Amino acid sequence: MRERPSWLGAATLVLALAGVGVSAYLTYAHYASSTILACSGSGLVDCERVTTSAQSAVAGIPVAVLGLVWFVATAALVSPPAWRSRAPWVRWTRLADVGVGMAMVLWLIYAELFVIRAICLWCTVVHVIVFALFVLVMLYGWEETEG
Amino acid sequence: MTSRTAQKKKAGPAGRHPKAKPKARKRKGTQRRGRSPGLYAIGAVVAIVAVMVGYGVFNRAKTPDTPNATGASAVIDDVTSVPASALNAVGADGVETVPTALPPSTAAYEVDGKPAILYVGAEYCPYCAAERWALTIALSRFGSFDGLGLTTSSSTDIYPSTRTLSFHGSTFHSDLIAFDGVETATNELNAAGTSYQPLDTLTPEQQQLFQAYNSSGSIPFLLIGNRYVLSGSSFLPDVLQGKSWQEIASALQDPTSDVAKEVLASANVMTAAICELTDGEPANVCTSPGVQQGANALANA
Repeated sequence: MRERPSWLGAATLVLALAGVGVSAYLTYAHYASSTILACSGSGLVDCERVTTSAQSAVAGIPVAVLGLVWFVATAALVSPPAWRSRAPWVRWTRLADVGVGMAMVLWLIYAELFVIRAICLWCTVVHVIVFALFVLVMLYGWEETEG
Repeated sequence: MTSRTAQKKKAGPAGRHPKAKPKARKRKGTQRRGRSPGLYAIGAVVAIVAVMVGYGVFNRAKTPDTPNATGASAVIDDVTSVPASALNAVGADGVETVPTALPPSTAAYEVDGKPAILYVGAEYCPYCAAERWALTIALSRFGSFDGLGLTTSSSTDIYPSTRTLSFHGSTFHSDLIAFDGVETATNELNAAGTSYQPLDTLTPEQQQLFQAYNSSGSIPFLLIGNRYVLSGSSFLPDVLQGKSWQEIASALQDPTSDVAKEVLASANVMTAAICELTDGEPANVCTSPGVQQGANALANA
């Protein structure tokens, strides 16, 4: 069995909690921003355009809210007790969870690059966090806890 | 094969240390089974992202081909003298965003005794790039420009290198209205790459107006005599993407082109708003069908 590093639980939990923080900010930005078709004062990136775009909601639910919910659920699934759990459903739920999260991120990157044609720096931070969680769970989350 | 080797092979794990061998085999076998799905998934994700980013970068606009002085002059001439027939043919149907009316009690904004229009933008800003085409056409119906230049939006922002005009260094002459076009930054990043290099500076009065109606500091910002305000562009820059200055200027003469439909419709709405400041002068402009449609769009907003 591929041994899980001792830092895995702490690292993934920190990543998930960081994701909670950033997605909470994006949720705030989604509801606070109303201006579109405008540049921010500093240019370079345009979070506002992304967070107010048609792609910023799925079935009426803001993507930022979906992200917040996902990170909260993921924080539970990657907490040290969850990593120690031997229940198969925890392992499979965690794998499915990061798979769904990563698929969503791929769709959002596509939307940013080819539909909205704007990049949101905060969204990119979220994408990187999801990818890091995806990598760690995919590397260490397939087998049961060794014991 | 020697008999000893054969015996060893036949005996298999049982011939080794009872604890060490099974553990080693288990680790190897599990690694092969457990590692592959995860690594394949990670590899697939990395490949998908790489393809998307690579395709996106590949399709970015190339470095714009700035026309020479003669070419630039021809572009500016075309933009500042769009035929009334084209403007009337387009009207104001399908205009995306119209300026917001301010309360009638708002004090008039005047410069040198004339109702004034304030534009705040920056050369890097692609939405400003879109807005300038329409604003220049609208203003040219009330006066004339000196020193208009050509520029592009940032090559690294969204709608990269959108071709446009620049109000930096220009002056506007009119008996009816005053115009201040403030470009706060260039389209070039500073040495640290953290912000665009500063260009024009707002006067204290302009700064006050900019902040009063635009707390988020978004650009472009357009204030029409304290009667109308618009924060953001009137239309998306995508219609201008990949087009040279000459192609845009040429398309503006053709009311059936997508460029003309967006730019001229917005220009008619802006013109209608300015006509409210000039009490309908010049009459041939303010009573034209295109401007009347623009006035209707303002009234229905």
